[in-house]
Amino acid sequence: MSDIESRITDTMLAKLRERDPALGPEDLTRPVADLDLDSLDLVELHQQLERELQVKGDLQETAAFAFLDDFSSYFVKLANGQ
Amino acid sequence: MSAGIVDVATAKPGRTVTNDDFASIGLTDEWIRRRSGIASRSWLPDGMPLTDVAAEACAPIVTRLPDPSSIGALVVVSTSVRQRVPGIAQQVARQAGLDSAVLAFDMNAACCGFVYGLVAGLSLCESGQARSVLVCSVEAMSRLVDRTDRQTACIFADGAAAVLLEDRAPFAPFRQVAGCDGSQEALMRETGEGGIHLDGMQVYDRAVRRMSESAQYLFDHGPAPTVLVGHQANGRILEQVRGFTTHLGVPFVNRIEHSGNTSSASIPLAFAEELDSGSLPASGRLGAVAYGAGEAWGGVAVDYRVPGTAAR
Repeated sequence: MSDIESRITDTMLAKLRERDPALGPEDLTRPVADLDLDSLDLVELHQQLERELQVKGDLQETAAFAFLDDFSSYFVKLANGQ
Repeated sequence: MSAGIVDVATAKPGRTVTNDDFASIGLTDEWIRRRSGIASRSWLPDGMPLTDVAAEACAPIVTRLPDPSSIGALVVVSTSVRQRVPGIAQQVARQAGLDSAVLAFDMNAACCGFVYGLVAGLSLCESGQARSVLVCSVEAMSRLVDRTDRQTACIFADGAAAVLLEDRAPFAPFRQVAGCDGSQEALMRETGEGGIHLDGMQVYDRAVRRMSESAQYLFDHGPAPTVLVGHQANGRILEQVRGFTTHLGVPFVNRIEHSGNTSSASIPLAFAEELDSGSLPASGRLGAVAYGAGEAWGGVAVDYRVPGTAAR
């Protein structure tokens, strides 16, 4: 796992564990709808990933993501300038 | 010439509405707390004139002044007042016991109204146009919302707060930052059917960014605030801004739990509650930041030295 992927994973795990401290890395592949996250959690996750990686994403795009994995691949691309 | 806040007073004459009162529209206490950080809020009686509420906030300040005629201007800020002609500032001036030689006017900049009113009042003081200026925000947001709307009914609340501005030698000059973007007007607006439409995710995102950026600006330009008070829009927004401004090293006020979102009145209400609770010293430098419909945003850094609670 690259440094960028590791930082994304840590940020996403921190957000998940605000809702359920028992959640782990295996939960990052679950659908967003199966997790105890509301729409504001997704905005917070978006902003925290932007801040962690010093990039600017498109909230309208990330708000439609069905899986947390989608956040990861989206922000990896952004951080790599793609 | 450097003006600052020298007195503050509030009025919340309404009834307390708890989260349980929204059970009839399918909301639970747990859901409202998680979504907004709000446990209770005050709603005014339907028939109570906003002039009465504003005057209730202003009158104690006027009474405490040795010479009330020193107040040369009154800015009454409100986004929820329904009366257009006449405006309410002149009636508030009369009811609060102000002299007739007062520049009294209404102002509406939605949730940014208090910040903009402060800038107007401070400018009048620092330019020497008025010895003292009263800035009062009064809101009855419960009359704007659709009380059956699950997204907004539990968020908004009512109340008033006023501050007195004066030029005093120890004060540093105030500093302001502001902006607007009319292309974003659809994010928050009154609906034709009565009620307020909020684009929740976009508003959340933009409010956090704009208030954090405004706070940073105030720290980068001029004397640094000793406390930050953001528009008490939503507890989640406030906690996110707190997280983004932690590096600034000053307290960030979140008083929304028992206040709700009182639009333009939220900043002076939260500031007064912090002073009254002893959480803030009686003097310092307030950094007030806001974001609201329009869209409009801004911040102001202003020195304050107010009487202790006992004197107020």
